[in-house]
Order: sequence, then structure tokens, then C-alpha cells
Amino acid sequence: MKYNRTELGGNIGFSTVIDSKFKTNSISIRFITELAKGTAADNTIGMGVLTTSTGTYKTLAALSEKLSELYGASLSSSATKRGDIQILGVNASWISNKYAFDGEDVTGEMLDMVCGALFAPNAENGEFDKDSFDITKKDLLDKIESEINNKRGYALAKAAEIAFRGEPAENSCYDTKESAEKVTSASAYKAYRNLLETARVEVFYVAPEENNAVMERIKDAFSKISRTSKDYSFENPSKAKDEVERASEELDVNQCKMVMAFKTDSTDLYAVKLMSIIYGGTPVSKLFTNVREKLSLCYYCACRTIASKSAMFVDSGVEKANIEKAENEILFQLDEIRNGNFTDEEVESALLSIDNSLSGVGDTTGSYISWYFERLCDGEVITPQQQYERFLAVTRERIIEAAKSVKLDSVYLMLNKEEAK
Amino acid sequence: MERNIITSPQTGDSCIHVKHSSGLDIYISEMKGFSTVEALFGTKYGSINTMFRMREDSEYTCVPEGIAHFLEHKLFENEDCDVFELYAKTGASANAFTSFDKTCYLFSCSKNYKESLKILLDFVQKPYFTKESVDKEQGIIGQEIKMTNDNPEWRVFFNMLRCLYHNHPVKIDIAGTVESIAEIDADLLYKCYNTFYNLNNMVLAIAGNISADEVLAICDECLKPCEDKGLESVFPDEPAEIVTAECRETQPVGTPIFNIAYKCVPCSGQERLKKGVCAMVAVEMFSDVSTDLYQRLLKQQLINSSFGTEVFTGDGYFTVIFSGESSSPEKVRDEIKAEVARVCESGLSEKDFQRIKKSAYGNLIRELNNVEAVANLFINAHMDGVGPFDTIDALSKLTSEECLEFIKNELTDDKLVMSVVEGTV
Repeated sequence: MKYNRTELGGNIGFSTVIDSKFKTNSISIRFITELAKGTAADNTIGMGVLTTSTGTYKTLAALSEKLSELYGASLSSSATKRGDIQILGVNASWISNKYAFDGEDVTGEMLDMVCGALFAPNAENGEFDKDSFDITKKDLLDKIESEINNKRGYALAKAAEIAFRGEPAENSCYDTKESAEKVTSASAYKAYRNLLETARVEVFYVAPEENNAVMERIKDAFSKISRTSKDYSFENPSKAKDEVERASEELDVNQCKMVMAFKTDSTDLYAVKLMSIIYGGTPVSKLFTNVREKLSLCYYCACRTIASKSAMFVDSGVEKANIEKAENEILFQLDEIRNGNFTDEEVESALLSIDNSLSGVGDTTGSYISWYFERLCDGEVITPQQQYERFLAVTRERIIEAAKSVKLDSVYLMLNKEEAK
Repeated sequence: MERNIITSPQTGDSCIHVKHSSGLDIYISEMKGFSTVEALFGTKYGSINTMFRMREDSEYTCVPEGIAHFLEHKLFENEDCDVFELYAKTGASANAFTSFDKTCYLFSCSKNYKESLKILLDFVQKPYFTKESVDKEQGIIGQEIKMTNDNPEWRVFFNMLRCLYHNHPVKIDIAGTVESIAEIDADLLYKCYNTFYNLNNMVLAIAGNISADEVLAICDECLKPCEDKGLESVFPDEPAEIVTAECRETQPVGTPIFNIAYKCVPCSGQERLKKGVCAMVAVEMFSDVSTDLYQRLLKQQLINSSFGTEVFTGDGYFTVIFSGESSSPEKVRDEIKAEVARVCESGLSEKDFQRIKKSAYGNLIRELNNVEAVANLFINAHMDGVGPFDTIDALSKLTSEECLEFIKNELTDDKLVMSVVEGTV
């Protein structure tokens, strides 16, 4: 495997990962900007239209037909959030030329396609093509409406709204229904141009063999754009509220959900992460073995960290009658770590689990992209092995300190309508 | 034991197949350059296997709904510890799942795969059930059933199956119901275990950063030989007709979600593989983004990007499903019916057919790029009674005439059902 990153100038980075084991090529062009209500929907639609049609393939049907001919190549856009940051992307993946049975230059054609989508969209006079815009806007509105379909994800999103109130991270990466409804073809186009001209850009190309043409094409295309890009901070710690905030809502559901949001003022990120895995990151963690297995208080009970916000969320599926008991037990298990009541074996298990997931980086093109993107956000590109060594260096004392630094910020409850008080 | 090398003539990919002396079928793929390992140890036993007998039995045994899934949960408990505690010492990420026709125990890891493989082979062969642990599990699974009932995609799918099937157990929920699992006890679990967890009814698939010699040495050490007792699963007679054409339910959802499905004639083995590939391409001819139907539905704002298709098959069932979100699912259904009628009348475009076929081929190539997908491909192929690379082969030989024949014979209005889950908020 060979990794290389080149600064193309104007706050644009181009990373290549060459790994001969792959049968496919992947490219991801990511635009990094601030997450904000009002602009998040414009950005999402502005980026989404780019992969609905292009200046060359002027309808979704024509674009899709071409992608099918290229052996089912994919071209898609994405919108995600990382703390206070919104990340918009155009992503593509296709099979290597050697698997094309008619000898086509799939890579060459896909490069044209990606550059066409990004730099020569289906737009005129500052507006996107109406049909393509309408399709993309409806899709976003439907996605926002459907967030309720996944109850666990919905509960986590509601908990984030409460925990990060007043901060950009309170927003969904898709924005609100009201914001999405206000987006016009012109405002989406303006958002697209704004991303092209001002966002930090990171490009990732993962392939089985070198192809200098890819970077040259991207570099050349960006050189024609006048850019004044600014950097955004990826780490924006959120302070714990003075008093724990509690919120609940009633829905027509069978199982209640509880999400407990914690905040930490610790800067020892490796200790906080390792502590969270011992606490609720594996099937032998304190939360799984005690809250679920021994006491049967929750069907699921797991912990995740949001490092960029110095936050930790514990989410659970619970019966109404058990909510209070479950909350007390979840807090008790945290106290156990604070009091040093965890074994070397528990630490070892958490480290082994980290080692296993870090050693798997690079087995898919997507895992390479995620790894290097995350490291660029961290501001330091290290290898999975180097990161593992940092986890290994965490002592018992640091784990205890990390647990002590964590403070409950808020609790969100999704209650069954019949059972709600 | 003979090692057979199975190679795909289309891609050059290969794997090793061994019929182990214990009775187990083993598929191994050494994937150079990859660092992870994916292993699945599975039995051909799922939620549909509710009636069965051995060669020596004169009568069939009927078991409560959801017992295969219950058994999967219970197998994770050893006499002296929880299986997750064992995996915690190797760092592997372990899991299991029960589907309609199989139960699989799996792990993925990038270190210590030999130790993890020993754990996997060992615990699945070592059942331990007590009254206390069975009682406790009823509470946990009851919670799981409640949770899945809150999943609208799950509800719309099972409601669709209940519209299609009168008697076939594919219509029952994989986890059963709170009432049906209350009938399960330790004796019944042992009965099912001893019936279906016979190595002659099982398969091991392992792919990634491994050595076939090491894997087979561990198999020799850990597998306990089993006598083939001639297991026979039977299914109640299922009429060709549907039960009812429509079902609606309300739940907290955004845009209404739908499953529109055709009940097709079931088959097995190579015939099912061939028909499945044919059905996959046939429905893509309607649902691919570039098709007239998709574009028409999109223009009328009747669908969004969630619109998709699935070919769902197994012992005694075969159906093709159109799914998605729509403010007016009945209009989507009517458009599908009209398009099928048009295609039956005027035929398929050869150019479009070749393009869709090419796209399907690319998707299969992509699968071979992924350790997890390769291991799953092996286990699914074996359970279906076909070779690991037979899908690519069947696809390469498929003609547009066969596709049209499938559409004319199987996608008929009288076999069409629609299930909708619509919002309460």
C-alpha cells in the first residue's frame, strides 16, 4: 500500500492510496464547511443536483444509462456532519479496466464523468436544470420526513439537539424541513459555487494502480476557479450544562428509548475513548454485561463518543417501567470505572477490540478514505499502528481520570403513548 | 479429504471446497493483501423450518414459531461462561443471525483468527440450556420483538408476506411472537439442536487473511464427526393464489412506505439460481433509474431515490418486490402493472437488456473485492445448493428472451399484492 498527499494550493488536498489487491477504483471529493441552519439544506441540494444530471448527461435517465454501461459504476453525493462541521461530497466507484470485457477505458470515462459533474453541471444563468433540482429537493424533503422511521437514529438526533443547543452541532446535516422547503434552484446553485470557491477541499483516490492523470485533471479544474478558502476548526468542545436537562416526547411506539448525553472537559482523548469502550463499546463492556445481560434492563445499551464535541452518548432501548432503574445502573457503572473497579482483563479486551478494528483499515477502499479523512481532521496523519500504540500507552490512572471528567448533560426519552405519564 | 479448487471462468477468482470427514462442507478463500478474516459457521435452519423429521422418525415434529432464533440466542451461553467473554480474549467482533432459512454464527477479526475459529467451532457444537436461562431469554427476546415491531420497514415487509402466503411459514416473524416463544423450553431446544446442528446440515465459510492448511488443521481438531440422519423439512401446501391484494398499517413514519410484490412459482437448486438471476435482471428492466417506468414515476413525484427491487427466494417461496416511499403507493402499483402489460405486448429492448446485464456483472465483481461479502457469498451459495461462482456464470448466459418469458409467466396481475405503512404523525 502506498499513501501520498499533495497540497494542490488554495486549501485543496489530494490523497492517493494505491493498493494492488483491489478490483475497483474509488474517488471522493469532500467539501468542508460550517454546519448551519439555513445553509445546510442549500449545500445538500447544491451538491445533490451534481449527481442527478450533468452538463453532458442532461437527465437522470441519461446519466444512469451511462453509469450502467460502465458496469454499474456509481456516482453519488453525500452530506454528513462531524460535530460543528458539514461535509459535502461527490463520490464515485467503478471496476478496474482489466475486468471490462469489451476493453473499455472505464477509469477514463469515469474521470470525465466526475469532473463533468463537479465543474460543468447542468445549469444556466445561475440556476440548476429545473427537473434535476426538483428531484433532488423532493428527495431531501422525503429524507428529512423519514428520519422518524429509524427510531434509534431519531432518538440520537433528538438527544444531539438538546445536548448541543445553541451550537452548530445541534443541527441535522440535512437541515430542517422548513429550511429545505425554502431552497430554490438559484440558492442551491449559489451554495454549490460557494462550496467550490470557499470550502476546504480534500480529495481521495483509492485504486489498484497509479494514475497521475486523476490528480492532474482535478488540479487543472480547480485552477480555473478563483478561491478564497478558510479553515474551520474540527474540535469544538461542548460544555456540560449546569443542571441536567430532561426532555421527553410521546410516540406511538412499543419500545421506549433513552439517550443520556455526557460531556467531558478532558483533553486526554485516547483515555476518554478507551474508557468509553470499557464502559459500553463491546459485548463484554460494563453496560452490556450488567445493564443488558445481568439485569435485563435494556435490550440494547451502548456508548459512543463524539470526540469533536468532547461528548459521549449512551443510548438504550428500554421498557417504561425500567427507565429509572436503567438510568441509575448506567450511572452506577460509570461510577465503577471512576472508583477503579475494573480489571486488567477489561482493559485488555477493549484494547484487543481497538487493535482488531484498526488492523482492518485498508480492507475496503472506503475504510482507507475514512481513515485518512479522519486523520486530516485530527490535524495529524498517523498510521493505524501508531494510533494503537497511543491507546496502549493509556494507564489505569488516565482511564479513571477520564471517567471522572465525564458529566451528565442531558437525558432524552422517547415514550410509548399509552405508557407516558 | 479431497480439496477441490473451484474457479470462476469469468473473473479468475477461486476458492477451496472440502467435504470434511465430520460431514461438514468447508469453503476457504485465501485473499492475498487483505488483513481481515470473516468466518461464518451456519446451519440450514431458519424460521421456516417449523415441521421436520429424521429418517428414523415415523412422525413429523412441529415446533413453536421463533424457535430457531431463540436457539441462536441461547447457544451464546456456555456451561461456564458467555461466549462473548471468550472472544474478548482474541479481540474478534462476533455476532450471529437467524434468517428465514439459515442460522449463522460469525466473527470478523484481523488478529488471532485461529483462536477465534476454535471458539466458533467449539461453542456451536456445545449446547447448554437450562430452565432458568430459557426463562430469562424469553424476556430479552420479548424486548427484541417489541423493537422490531417499531421498525416500519420490517412491518411493511411481513405484512406483504402475509398478503402473499396462506400457509408457508415464511409469513411468520423470524423471532416469533411473545406467545409462541413462551412455549419454548430446554427440551425442545435440545430436540431442534440435535436435529439441525448436525454437521451434515451445516457449512463453514471463511475468507481473508488465512491459510487453508491452518483452517483445515483446526477443523480436524475441533469438529466432532456426525452421522447423517436424513433430515427432512416439510412445508404445508401453498396455493398458487395470493391471500389478499392489499394491507395497510399505521405507524409513526414520514412519507408512506410500500412493498409491492408478485407471488412467483417456487423452485430449488440450479433452477432457482437461474430463475433468480433472470428475475433480478427482469425487475431491473423496470426499476433501474434509466428506465421509462422509473422516470415516469419520478416525474409524477410518486417515488424518490429509495425506490428499489429485491428478488426474495427460498424453499417453497419466490417473490419479486418493488419497495420505496410514496405519497400514493396505489398509483405506483398501477404504473407497474401498466408497464408490465406494455412489456408483455411489445417486448424488451435488447440494448437495455445488455446494459442492465453489464451493470449486474459490475456489482458481482465489486462483491469479490470484500472479505465479508466473499464469505457470505460462499455460505449463501452452498445453502442454496449451488456453486460459489454460479451466479456470475448464470448471468453471463442469460438471454433477453428468458427475461421476457419470466415477465410474461410470473408478473401477472392476479399475483400482485401491496403492503403500505403510513404515518400517524
